[in-house]
Amino acid sequence: MRLRDVVAGANASMYYRTDFRRIKAVYYPQTERDAVEAIAKAREMGYDVTPKGAGSGLSGACTGGNRDRVIITTLRMNRVLSISPDHTYADVQPGATPDEINAVLAPSTMRFHVTPSSRDVATVGGMLSTDSGGNDAWLHGTMRDNTLRAKILTYDGKQIEVGREGVRCEDTSLEDDLNRKALTLNDIADAHGLLGFVTELRLALKPIGDETVMAGLVECTDISELGSVVQDIISAKIPVTYGETVIYAHPDIRGSLNPPLLVLEFPEAHLRDLQSITRLRMLTREELAELKDIRLKLAKRTPKRGLQISLFEDYGFYGHNLSRLQERVERIDSYLREHSFEPLAKYGHAPTKWYMGDNTQANGIIMHSNEIKQPRQSSSDVFETAMGLVRLCEELGVTPKPEHKWIYSDYAKLARIRELREVIGGGFNSFILDPDCGAVLSTMIQ
Amino acid sequence: MLTTTKRAQKKRSEMTFEKCVRCGSCMKICPIFDAMGEEQYSPRGKLYLLQVMDKVESDPELAKEFRRLLFQCAMCGRCTDVCSSDVDLLRIWHEQRARAIKDAPQEFAYLGALEKSLENVKNIYGLSPEDRAVYWLDELEQEIPNLRKRVFPEAKTADVVVFLGCLMSFRASQVDVLRALFKSLEILKVDYLVLGAEEFCCGHPLDLMGDEAGAKKLRTHNKRVIKQTGAKQLITCCPGCLSQLQNNYNFTGIEVLHHTQFFDRLLQSIEPYKQTEEFTYHDPCELHRICNVKTEPRSLLKKMGVQFRELELSCCGGGGLLRMTDPNLSDKIQQLRAAREKLSSTTVITACPACREQLLGNNLKTKDIIELLVTCLSEAKG
Repeated sequence: MRLRDVVAGANASMYYRTDFRRIKAVYYPQTERDAVEAIAKAREMGYDVTPKGAGSGLSGACTGGNRDRVIITTLRMNRVLSISPDHTYADVQPGATPDEINAVLAPSTMRFHVTPSSRDVATVGGMLSTDSGGNDAWLHGTMRDNTLRAKILTYDGKQIEVGREGVRCEDTSLEDDLNRKALTLNDIADAHGLLGFVTELRLALKPIGDETVMAGLVECTDISELGSVVQDIISAKIPVTYGETVIYAHPDIRGSLNPPLLVLEFPEAHLRDLQSITRLRMLTREELAELKDIRLKLAKRTPKRGLQISLFEDYGFYGHNLSRLQERVERIDSYLREHSFEPLAKYGHAPTKWYMGDNTQANGIIMHSNEIKQPRQSSSDVFETAMGLVRLCEELGVTPKPEHKWIYSDYAKLARIRELREVIGGGFNSFILDPDCGAVLSTMIQ
Repeated sequence: MLTTTKRAQKKRSEMTFEKCVRCGSCMKICPIFDAMGEEQYSPRGKLYLLQVMDKVESDPELAKEFRRLLFQCAMCGRCTDVCSSDVDLLRIWHEQRARAIKDAPQEFAYLGALEKSLENVKNIYGLSPEDRAVYWLDELEQEIPNLRKRVFPEAKTADVVVFLGCLMSFRASQVDVLRALFKSLEILKVDYLVLGAEEFCCGHPLDLMGDEAGAKKLRTHNKRVIKQTGAKQLITCCPGCLSQLQNNYNFTGIEVLHHTQFFDRLLQSIEPYKQTEEFTYHDPCELHRICNVKTEPRSLLKKMGVQFRELELSCCGGGGLLRMTDPNLSDKIQQLRAAREKLSSTTVITACPACREQLLGNNLKTKDIIELLVTCLSEAKG
């Protein structure tokens, strides 16, 4: 046992106290061949494989639970392999970050347009596995909308190429079987590594918009007003290029912010459309840059006393819940307070889009949430509270991104993954499908 | 048993690293992670290990490996800079290094020689304290005739005291910088003196080892001597010394300045520099991040009309005692940078003797800002 094995448990979720003695090996492949060899070694030893990107996600999937397992990290598979001659797509390794890809693209006018707050560190392989979106997802979509194909290694070392329409594989029998099951990128997106190890992605590139954009701040009197404004922007199909909301910020981290508020960047041609929906205070370039920076850092801010924890990220408010946002957030907050958690921050992308477990699209607000944990709160208190939030969300019709649905029980996604694993094989992150997954996770909380 | 104060300190320290939300933003900007490519070398990796230390410490081999890991760090402070969670990573590295040496002194025997030198002869090289003003004085006395009279205690008082630090006092590779510094002070008719043999190490190396008591002894001596000189300003070319003098000496009535700050204030305009080579500018970490001196070096270069390419705000690999604790890693950091930023075809301007050593040691051309300045001042003087 070396520290390189122990440290493989480092990740941003609240599930970080892994039983590291069950991590049997950690590999940092640099090429697909290295990854094939690492998977072969895991197979020979009979261990499950847990793929890990940057560990910046909040699901805890990259921990691998508490099975005897091998962790394969993509941190050193971070090269941009090629850019198409017409600059419409790039082939990249799974460990590349959006910032790294866009740095390579900087001399051109094309960009990769998925921009989560963690774009400096999040890997595109991990982002596909959680179907990440960003502050421009309303316009450009989530990771699945910006991926043209992914090369994936199965547990028995076969390479499959999954596109939007289907699968290609040298093993024609496997190819036929998977195509009969209609495996597409929609399945790989949000699969949390359950379907294989991604070794390469072909990412769609789009031009930097050449229209003049403006920026404005919507300062709302209450949270429901904010929800209604977002609903109206969605109905009017205004092509917002940057949309972020701050719904709540604790005095420890609020600074000069006065939530609830919505920061929007949009084409000049749509100024009137927006002004017909809401009062907009125009922002200078400097004011916008400052607000973007505050928002970017909000996820990482910590309270003066107690510790920051993200019990349950990514509440998805859409449809009628937008106009009842105040009531919904109050229900969530009162539940948190009943369990001695002080709300720290609520913020997120708005307007935005995401996909449910059955691949239907939702439009609305993805609200991230951080809480303050006090030292006296035990790991079981924390986990039970998180599970209570899951139940509350079901009751309220608040649908989180599937990122958390394997503890939330997204039966559609889980059933689909099980069905596909019957053909493609298992061997990857199987703990997620175990009946005791929740019990395992609860032991990994501080 | 821990005393109440120690327990409170331990709790404060733990709370600081417990605040880390493990977002990973400190990983890719870390020069050690960049060079090694595995997560245990990254700031997040090390903080994570602290967060699960109760599990790690139960295995003596893992605990030993962690202690070694703490000294595989350039202490550049970039992780602290990028952290949005109010985690003072640099402070944590200092505290943990002290703890590591205290817990297992036998594992740090290689640092013992340094500690002994500082205790016995008050410099990092183990040379006689008298030699502090010998090498460079022999070299420069002919060119700067009055220089010997500028050395304390022959020179008793001055408005400006120059604190050279160990590197600049003893290393032949620094003489060009000293020449430029003293000549510039002479041309500008500054009333200055150099501390000479009465200057002790500033305490920075001991601070990096977490030896607060040892560092305090050195500081007490230096502070007493500097007070005797009646100095109004204390200047140094070494950002490591500057960080100590500014942050740990608590001077009253004496302004502590980096030489770039001193000259930038003194000179409103400067004769243009006749540039014939391609320059880049490297920010010394301790100057830029720890002492917050960012504008003055650039302002001086601008006043001289020097054209240069800005480099990444990354470490040269020479900080945090890394040259001593892992010289291969230290070199690798610089070599990666040199390749990535195409340094071999340029002269790297900097303002730190340790960065200079690191650049020269990797066969790169470098100049201190003062070397450019003295050319301009000499030109103006005719």
